[in-house]
Amino acid sequence: MRESGLLAKMSDAETEKRYTALYNAVVSTFSTGKFDDVERYAKEITEGVVLRDTSVERIIGGILKLRDIYERFIFSEYRDDEEMLYQLLASYEPVANNILTIVTMAFVEAREQVIREQQKAMMSLSTPVLQIRDEILVLPLIGTIDSERAEQILEELLKRIVELTASVVIIDLTGVPVIDSLVANHMIKTVQAAKMLGADTIITGISPVNAQTLAGLGVDLSMLITKNNLRAGLWHAEKMLGFKVIRERETE
Amino acid sequence: MNITSSADIIAARGKGRELAMKMGFSVVDQTKITTAISELTRNIVTYAGKGEVIIKKAESETGGKNGIVVVCRDEGPGIEDIQLVLKSGFSTSESLGLGLSGAKQLMDEFEIKSKPGKGTIVTIKKWLRRR
Amino acid sequence: MDIPILKIEDFLVVTIQSELSDDEIYELQEDILSRIKDVGATGLIIDITALDIVDSFMGRTLSNIAATAELLGAKSVVVGIRPAVAVTLVELGIRVKWNVNTALNLERGIRLLKRLIEAERRGGAS
Repeated sequence: MRESGLLAKMSDAETEKRYTALYNAVVSTFSTGKFDDVERYAKEITEGVVLRDTSVERIIGGILKLRDIYERFIFSEYRDDEEMLYQLLASYEPVANNILTIVTMAFVEAREQVIREQQKAMMSLSTPVLQIRDEILVLPLIGTIDSERAEQILEELLKRIVELTASVVIIDLTGVPVIDSLVANHMIKTVQAAKMLGADTIITGISPVNAQTLAGLGVDLSMLITKNNLRAGLWHAEKMLGFKVIRERETE
Repeated sequence: MNITSSADIIAARGKGRELAMKMGFSVVDQTKITTAISELTRNIVTYAGKGEVIIKKAESETGGKNGIVVVCRDEGPGIEDIQLVLKSGFSTSESLGLGLSGAKQLMDEFEIKSKPGKGTIVTIKKWLRRR
Repeated sequence: MDIPILKIEDFLVVTIQSELSDDEIYELQEDILSRIKDVGATGLIIDITALDIVDSFMGRTLSNIAATAELLGAKSVVVGIRPAVAVTLVELGIRVKWNVNTALNLERGIRLLKRLIEAERRGGAS
């Protein structure tokens, strides 16, 4: 009781509620020998609440203080009985440390979850399918593409080919430094599927590294049209469709 | 359900599509599943004459995933060398091999048990992808 | 099952409107080929927009029809392959032996047919 009183004095109302919950969880752990309450506590405080560094610091700090308080209490109570003291400490320490670990790991996991979601959001930014001429689509790929993303790209591209009745698709890989052979395979499949929808594909901006990956697939690459860069790709696409771009007048 | 004729192939596909749609598979995945069912049931009709197919929800051991499982069973001639047949381009049983390797390509899991003279059981699974 | 085979200029257009049983597929194949012969068609368009499944058997059949039509003097184009079907066909590996011309829709299909026929006419001038 004294302990929870001590803690309450140093915090605002919200954190006090959390400390009480923490205190109760810790007490239950020591009395039942099970960590369920602590795990539940950890889950509760990491879910749904945006954890600022200060509150994380306070909670960890609070746990450490609790741990120290208990330890000192054990020392003061049993300082005359050495054997009992060691026994108690030996069983107390792992439990206290585990409590700390559970709560800390919950914080870490919550942070990692945020990072994962942001990564996902970032990946979904990378593939708009743009129409730059009546029958020409451009798909500039950027960043790292994994297998799942490659599938999404394929589906999105096919959908757009149908929607916009495109005849040529230019996929630009300038912004993709590395693709693994699984993704390269997906690229080939994308080209083939687009062909079934009547669209030819031109791949531009392949880095030397990626060129090697593609060549190493052992798949027939003869139907792949590749150009050095987007500009050359567009020129070729226009030619394929019978377009000719003429400059009517010089700009100032 | 029993498979004895090509009309049954269409029926099996319908069942497969229905369940896949109900389970929330994407259109592309629905098509892959239904096509795999078509390949396998067609093999039954062509090579075994008759057999049965079971299409239902799949249980995952870890309990985290949801999926569909299709089991095709027949008491036909069986396959002597499974590995050989699965390699596409094997000439004499071309459509059998293409059908099996096709189904394998389209699904997440593929398992086949066959003994010459005893028959064949093919089990295929596809899991729902988290989006 | 009566599948309409329409004639547009010198081309035949076949629109498959529903799932076909194996017998119906064989029958259709024969119908198309005899029509090509009867009419002296120079081009064939098979519209499979209504099909939401094309398995390896159907794929091979389409390929056969195209090859035979070629022998009878007609170029062919398959149109209306749905995206989900396209992805599945590619996964099936049909690509390896599938020499079938494809286009997005009827209009593009006719455009392609004309191009193919023109290209052959020019190429055959020897």
